[in-house]
Formats: sequence, structure tokens, C-alpha cells
Amino acid sequence: MSTPAISVDGLWQVFGTDAKARLKEALGRNDTAPDAASDLRESGLIPAVQDASFEVREGELFVIMGLSGSGKSTMIRCVSRLVEPTAGSVKIDGEDILAASPKRLIELRREKLGMVFQHFGLFPHMTVAENVAFPLKMLGKSRAERRRRALEVIEMVGLDGREDAYPRELSGGQKQRVGIARSLAANPDTWFLDEPFSALDPLIRRQLQDEFLKIQSGLNKTIVFITHDISEALKLADRIAIMRDGRIVQIGTPAQIVLNPVDDYVREFSRDVAKGRHARLDSVLHTDTPPQMPDDPKLRLDMTLEEALANCMSLYEPVPVWDDRGRMAGYVHPSDLAAALQVDRS
Amino acid sequence: MTLLARLTPGARAALLVIAVGALCMALDRSANWLPGWPDALTLPMTQWVGDGLEWVFDLIRPGVRLISALLEYPMAGVNWLLTETPWPLVLGATVALAWYAGGLSMAALASVGLGFVLISGYWVEGMNTLALVFVSVPLALILGLLIGIWSNESPRARPWIEATLDLMQTVPTFAYLTPLLLLFGFGPVVGLIASAIYAAPPMARNTALGLQRVEAEVKEAGIMAGATRAQQLIQVEIPAASTQIMIGVNQALMAALSMVIIAAVIGGFDDIGWEVLLTMRQANFGQSLLAGLVIVVFAIIIDRISARMATSGQRFDLRISWIILGVSVVAAIAAWALLPPPGDFALLAPTVEAVDSGLSQFTRGAGATLDSIKNNAMFYGLLPLRIGLDSAVLPFTWGFSWTPGMSWIYYGVAGLIGLGVALTGRITLGASLVILAGVFETGISELPWPVVFVGVGALAWVSGGWKLTRLVVILLLFIAIAGLWERALLSLYLCGAAVLICAVVGGLLGLLSAVSATAWAVIRPVCDMLQTIPLFVFLIPVLMFFQIGEFSALLAIIAYAIVPMIRYTRHGLVTTPAELLEAATSSGATKWQTMKEVRAPYAAPTILLGLNQTILYAFAMLVIAALIGTTGLGQSIYIALGSANVGLGIVAGAAMAILALIADRIVQGFAEERRRALGL
Ligand SMILES: Nc1ncnc2c1ncn2[C@@H]1O[C@H](COP(=O)(O)OP(=O)(O)OP(=O)(O)O)[C@@H](O)[C@H]1O
Ligand SMILES: [Mg+2]
Repeated sequence: MSTPAISVDGLWQVFGTDAKARLKEALGRNDTAPDAASDLRESGLIPAVQDASFEVREGELFVIMGLSGSGKSTMIRCVSRLVEPTAGSVKIDGEDILAASPKRLIELRREKLGMVFQHFGLFPHMTVAENVAFPLKMLGKSRAERRRRALEVIEMVGLDGREDAYPRELSGGQKQRVGIARSLAANPDTWFLDEPFSALDPLIRRQLQDEFLKIQSGLNKTIVFITHDISEALKLADRIAIMRDGRIVQIGTPAQIVLNPVDDYVREFSRDVAKGRHARLDSVLHTDTPPQMPDDPKLRLDMTLEEALANCMSLYEPVPVWDDRGRMAGYVHPSDLAAALQVDRS
Repeated sequence: MTLLARLTPGARAALLVIAVGALCMALDRSANWLPGWPDALTLPMTQWVGDGLEWVFDLIRPGVRLISALLEYPMAGVNWLLTETPWPLVLGATVALAWYAGGLSMAALASVGLGFVLISGYWVEGMNTLALVFVSVPLALILGLLIGIWSNESPRARPWIEATLDLMQTVPTFAYLTPLLLLFGFGPVVGLIASAIYAAPPMARNTALGLQRVEAEVKEAGIMAGATRAQQLIQVEIPAASTQIMIGVNQALMAALSMVIIAAVIGGFDDIGWEVLLTMRQANFGQSLLAGLVIVVFAIIIDRISARMATSGQRFDLRISWIILGVSVVAAIAAWALLPPPGDFALLAPTVEAVDSGLSQFTRGAGATLDSIKNNAMFYGLLPLRIGLDSAVLPFTWGFSWTPGMSWIYYGVAGLIGLGVALTGRITLGASLVILAGVFETGISELPWPVVFVGVGALAWVSGGWKLTRLVVILLLFIAIAGLWERALLSLYLCGAAVLICAVVGGLLGLLSAVSATAWAVIRPVCDMLQTIPLFVFLIPVLMFFQIGEFSALLAIIAYAIVPMIRYTRHGLVTTPAELLEAATSSGATKWQTMKEVRAPYAAPTILLGLNQTILYAFAMLVIAALIGTTGLGQSIYIALGSANVGLGIVAGAAMAILALIADRIVQGFAEERRRALGL
């Protein structure tokens, strides 16, 4: 396998005085990370990220989800090294970010990384175009080129015509588009987005999500996307990491999260989502030697549970599932489909 | 013991003070070391500091003189520019700038103001003063900006920088002058440097504050764009903090102007502050008032224009500014030969004479009334507070003399009242009443030093615990050992009287402003005005009516120090959250019940902060008031300046700063406690 775009291993972020030494002590005293964390918490420190490990593949859209205060922003800040992690390692394209010199870090940020902030973080003294062109200015591009590229990205996010407005003159949704445009100006490979759509009302949010997917399908960047909204996560993600009180409790595809939640916390999240719409057949697929299968309702591997169930409502025996090249990929029990769809209805 | 444990800290502290007071009274006859701090326990600190500084000064003097010589050039240049430029051009340029910053009203203000300066005949003196301001302010701004950035960049240095800035702002203005005088020698450079030093702290503070307040995500957006630290500062953080930094510029301008005027006491530079001082000394009040008004006009114009540029992004049509400038150039050229030199305008001379004769007529007519106001305040208020009823009550003022027997009766009555109050459950209040009665009987300047130490220490303990007590006692010890104890008590007395009056009157005015919009519409411009006027100018009107003396000083201090009390009281009262008021109204509270039960408690921390400001203002003015006859530390500082006694100047200045610092910390402690109690 090729090197992952981002790989995080054993990452800790502890806020408070003398955090490094005290984390080491706590880890020495306790066997597990959660114990060490509660030990730290008792002595007045804040373990905002605890022993987090995950990998993001190139071109993958990786979503971090969790309630307010669960440490999502802190995690992304560690990965982009806006805060100095207390322990652990962060690698981007195999390069150890935490060992990078200040000079190298500046280089990386200029050329490789882009970030959209939860509260926009727009420069109040610059116009929209100047805001968007700022990363290009840091790259030393000429004034004319900056303006050209800025207008290009501004148009991409649908803000053309407002390029000479100041941030204070924009609505929340427009500000967020400026933030997105700015983070895209230098065309980074890796894109961090911290709850880019939370400050918006549902209609605009849906519209921006769709636009976002459209932009992404053209750009194909490695993305770490933060949200606390499960339907947003399910809609966008290739994989989701669920955070709780600083810990990653589960990492998986949307279907895995919905169908096999590891605990009540995760289950609680997906309680209100219609599972059949998000989970695909492969999540309940059996691939061992098939038993006797009298019926074939022509199920395909890329069907959602809901669609599949609709096709075999009156069947009780296992049925085959075909992949897109017409080969049999495995079989499912219709009763499994119904059960998977009804886990939380009770 | 259980009884003691049930008492509140306040009650315990008050009872302790009473006990120490009683003990001192019992020992009074036998122990003559009680009233004043014993000489045997003082050290010649003044001498040491003086010698030490002389040594240092000798070391650095050549370098300093070089700086001084270098500064002469820009100063002479700016001075030449302002005085030699035809006055229509200066006027036109100012009005053009005023238009650009604030439109028609600002332009009108500038033209009327400078027009007044012109016809007053003080144009040249005024420009001399402005020249000093305009050279010192850039120095102060650069210095302040650098310090502010440093404080922002180095968290380790920050507490030290902040403490130093605190100190620089509490050390009385006069105290800066003596060492500078010795270093730089007589001349305007002293005023220049003093005002640059004095104006730098507000700039530094606002810069640091502004930089800290830049939203975290804005800073992070700069980092993520790959900006270097220098790029982040220059392209992101400083511009994003520009509003706060411009407020710093405004404050620095005002501080510089104030200090330049104060530095006029050194003399040697034909400026407007000197003119005020001179005419004041000659009892030439009409003229002095005119010169004072010129200062006020400068202050208002500078303040309003710079404040507008700081707080409002709106700018007016630049083309009109150019037109104004063009017209003034044409006027200057066309009328080159015709126009009289600006110093020759004396259109106001008749007015001045009218004021003078009117004033003398008034004092002749109302002199008796004025004198009786002054005498009553002195004999029945200030003097007892200063030396106590036991010495102040004399046959020729009060009609009888104070006897030891009366003291017994007085204390008996006070004790009974205190006991009565205490029995209703308000023990702290009862005990405090007894203490106040004691202070009034003895007089602040004659309080036995153990009582002062224990009293101030106990107050500090209630306000901020043992740590504050320790600090306060050590600081008081410094004053005592330096041999400035009596003078410090005298300062404390005058300041105390002024602050007391400010608290009561200012509190009431603040209350009035809070309940009546009309009252606030009247009081507010007066407050704005009083806060813009440089300290110095306050002395003129009080001198006109009440001559030199402590009463005039008291009035000047009150006039200056009352403003924050009014402002903060009103602010605290009107900013009570709407839900609280609605809750009170829906519980059926009347307007006054709401005021007493909801608004006042909620406003208490804010009002205490106002009191704190008032105290600091009072100390600042106290030193200036030394010019018109006060006796405390201010006088020492002034004397030190006159006799170039740098040791005395520094030590007395430090003592003054210490008093201010102690008051500040104690009041802040109470405010903090109130805030915590309210969960704010
Ligand atoms: N600089 C800091 N100093 C101390 N504590 C911090 C700091 N930054 C974050 N925290 C704490 O770390 C925890 C996680 O915060 P974080 O901002 O990462 O949460 P979040 O998941 O992004 O929440 P939200 O959805 O509200 O943005 C919180 O308890 C927060 O108070
Ligand atoms: Mg967050």
C-alpha cells in the first residue's frame, strides 16, 4: 500500500501548565489511556485529545464527528500543528510534521495545506479578494496573478461580484464561502475544514454541501472535515471518526457507523437517521459458501439496504448478490436486512 | 472563640482596629513615639537614592546629552515649520484634516478653535507647545508600539512589562521631571522626553491589548497561509488590531499634551503652559484664563479628530480637503504682506480686561461670601479631618475649646451608637462608625502610626487576604523608613477628603444620570470636557475665586477626579441586564426598589472600579495641586524639582505611587470580591 496522506499515531493534546511532564507521569502511573486521562483531569489539566490514531488515504474525505467540546478542533489543530501536540506523531505524506523546522512548516503551509476555520477567521482589514489572495501573496505571486487567481476561486464558490466587499459587509454564509475560497487559492493537496457549514441555516447548508461535493469531485483533495452533524457526515464521508471527550471511539465507513455502532454514544448519534438510506448491502453480505438459494431478486452490491429490502419483501431464504460485472459477490438473508433496518426503532 | 469565629472578616478587622486604637490612646501620655514615626527608625534613603542616581547619571550623561543634542534638530525643525508657516496655511491644513476625518462638524470645530487661538494672540506660544507634542508623540508611539509588541511576543516578559507600565502611570508626572532635568539640563528637551515617556504607556497598553484581542482564528489563518512571524505581525495582526491601536494613539496624544503643559514649570521655552503659569503667579487671571482656554481648545481639537479617526472608519471626500488647503495657500500668498503676524492679534484683550475687572468687582462684592464658604469648609471640615477635633476646635472658630472631658463624652456617644448599630446585627458597620469617629477626633495627620499600619493592613486583609496585607505593610514601611511618614499622611488626608466628596457627589450625579436622560444630556458633555482638559488648567478657576491654599487644591482635585465616579456609577446602573429588571418589575418592585435591590448591587463592582479610578485621578491631581499650596508629598516633589534634589524627587514620587498603588489594590480586591459574589 502507498503511504497514507495523513497518519496520526498516539496523539495527545493536554492543555495546562507543564503538560508534557505530567502526561508522562500519568502514563507511567496508569495502564490505559482513559485512566491516564481521568488522572490528568483530576489534577486540573484538560486532555482535549487522548491517544488518537488514524490514517487518511490520498484523495479520501475523512470526517471527524463528535459533540461540542469533544476535541475535534483541537485534533485538527494538532494535525496542522497550530498547537504543539503533547505527545504522539503526525505524518503528512510520510513526513514527520512535528519534527519539521519552522522554515519547513511555513513551506508546507504555503504549498500543501489549506484550512477553513469554524468561525471563518477572515482578515477584517482586507476585502474579499485580498483575503482570498493572501496565501498567494505569501507565495510571492505578483499582484496581477494574485488578483486573477483570487477572482477565479471567488467565482468557483459563487461570490463573484462581491470581491471588493469587506468581511463585515457579508452574511455568515458568504463569509464561509470566502473562507473556503481562501483555503483553496493556493491549490493545496490537503484540505482541513472545521465545521464549515455549522453556522449556516439548513437550506444554505444543504446547498453548500452539494456545491462542496461538486468542487471536491473536480479537485480530488485529501480532506479532513469536521462536523457535529451526523447526516452531514454520512452524506459526505468516505470514512468517519467519532470522537467523545477527546477519544476516538470508532472509525468506519458510514454504513459501519450506522449498522455496527460500538457503543451507546455512537448509537445515539445515528438514532434519528434512516439507516437503510445510508448503509449499503455489503455491510450485511456473507461471502462463505452459499447455501441453497431458490430465489434471485437481482440484488446488486451498490444497493442500499432499503432498496434491497424492497426487492425481497416476501422472501425468507438467502438470496444472491451480484457485483457490477455480473459475478456473484455473496449472499444475504432477507431477515438480516429487516433486522439491520430496525435496530433502533424499538 | 466561637463568637470570634462567627464574625465576618470585616467585623473582625474593624474590631481589631478599635482595639489597637484604644491601646494607643491608653498609652498616649506615656509613649511619645506613638504619634509620628520615630526618627530613629528612618534611613537617609533620599540621600542614598540621590547619590546613587548621581553616580549613574554621571556615567550615562555623555550619551544622554548626545541624544538631547540630536533631538534639538527635529524639535527646532518642527518648531520652525509651525511658527514660520503663514498661519492661514496651518489653519487650512488643520481644517482640511478635520474635514477628512469628521466632515462638516469637525471642520467647523477646528476652524472655530484655531480661530480662537489666533485672535487670542497666543498663536506663537501655542505653536511652540504643539511643536513639542508633535516631536514627542512619534517617539512615544514608536516606543509604545515596540513595547506593546514585545509584551505580546514574550509571555514571560509580559507581567514585568505590565507592572512597569502600571508604575509609569502611577508615578506622579512631576516626579519624572527632576531626574530628567538633571540628566538633560534645562531646556525644552526635558519636556519632550518627559512627555514621550509619559505618553508611551497608553500606546503600549493598547497595542498589547489590541494584539491579544485579535481573534485566534484570524491569527491562525495567517499561520496556515504560511506567513512568517514578521508577516503575521505586519500584514495580519497589527492591521487587525488597528482600532485599538488608534485608541492608543489618541490617548498618547492627550497624555503628551498634558505632560508638555506640566513640563512648562521648568520654563525656558516660550510655550503656552508657561504663559498660564506666569499669568497665574501674577494673579493676572483674565489673561491666565485665556491662555488656559487656548490649551483646552488644542486638547479638544486633537482629541476629537484623533478619536474620530480611531473609532470611525468613515472618511469624507478628500477633494474638499484639497480645496480647503488650496484656498488657504492662495490666502497665505495673496495676503502675505497684508496679514499681521499671528502674535499681534489681540482682539480678545478687551474681553480679558472685562473679565479681570468683572472678576475683581465680583470678588469685592461676593468676597465675603466666598471667604465664608472657604472658611467654613476649612474650619468645620478639612481642619478637623486633618488635625482632629481635639486640636481644631478653638474658641475663635468654634466658640469653645476642646477639653479631655469632651473627648470622653464624644467617644462615649460614638461607642453607644456603634454598639446600637452592632446589636441590630450589622457589627461591621457599627465598628466602622466608631473608627471613623476616632479618626475625626484625632485627625488623619495625627493618627498613631500603629493604628494606620493595622488599619490599612486589616483593610487589605479583608479585601485580598494575607498576601495583599503583606504587600501593603511592606510598602507602608518603605514610606515610613524613608522619613516621609508625616507628608504621606498629609497627602492621604487631602486625597481622602477629595475622594470622599467625589464618591458621594459623583455617586449621586451618576445615579441622577442613570434615572434621567435629561440630566445625563447635561452632565455628559461636562464630563467629556473635564476629561479632555489638561490637569494644569483646573487650577485657574479655583485660584480666581479662592486664592492659594488647601481649599482651592481640594476643589481642583474634586473637579478632575469626580468624572470617573459619575461615569462608572451611571454605566453600572444602566447596564443591568434586561431580564433582571423584568424579573424585578414582574415581582412588583417600584422604580426605587428596583434601583436599590437590583440595579445597585449589580452595579457595585463597576462602581467600585469607578471609585478606584477616582482615587488614582485624585493622586495625579494632588501633585499638580502642589503648585497652589498643599503640604503633602506633592509639595516635596515640587520642592525637589525646584532644588534639583533628585533623591527627594524620586523617593517622594515613589511614596506617592505607593499610596496610589495601595488604594488601587485594596479597592480592586473589593471589586473582585463583589464580582465573584455576583458570579460575573
Ligand atoms: N487553548 C485551550 N486551552 C485550554 N483548553 C482548551 C483550549 N482549546 C480547547 N480547549 C478545551 O479542549 C476541549 C476540546 O475543545 P475543541 O475546541 O477541540 O472542541 P470541539 O470538538 O471543536 O467543539 P465545538 O464543536 O464546540 O467546536 C474543550 O473542553 C475546550 O475547553
Ligand atoms: Mg470546534
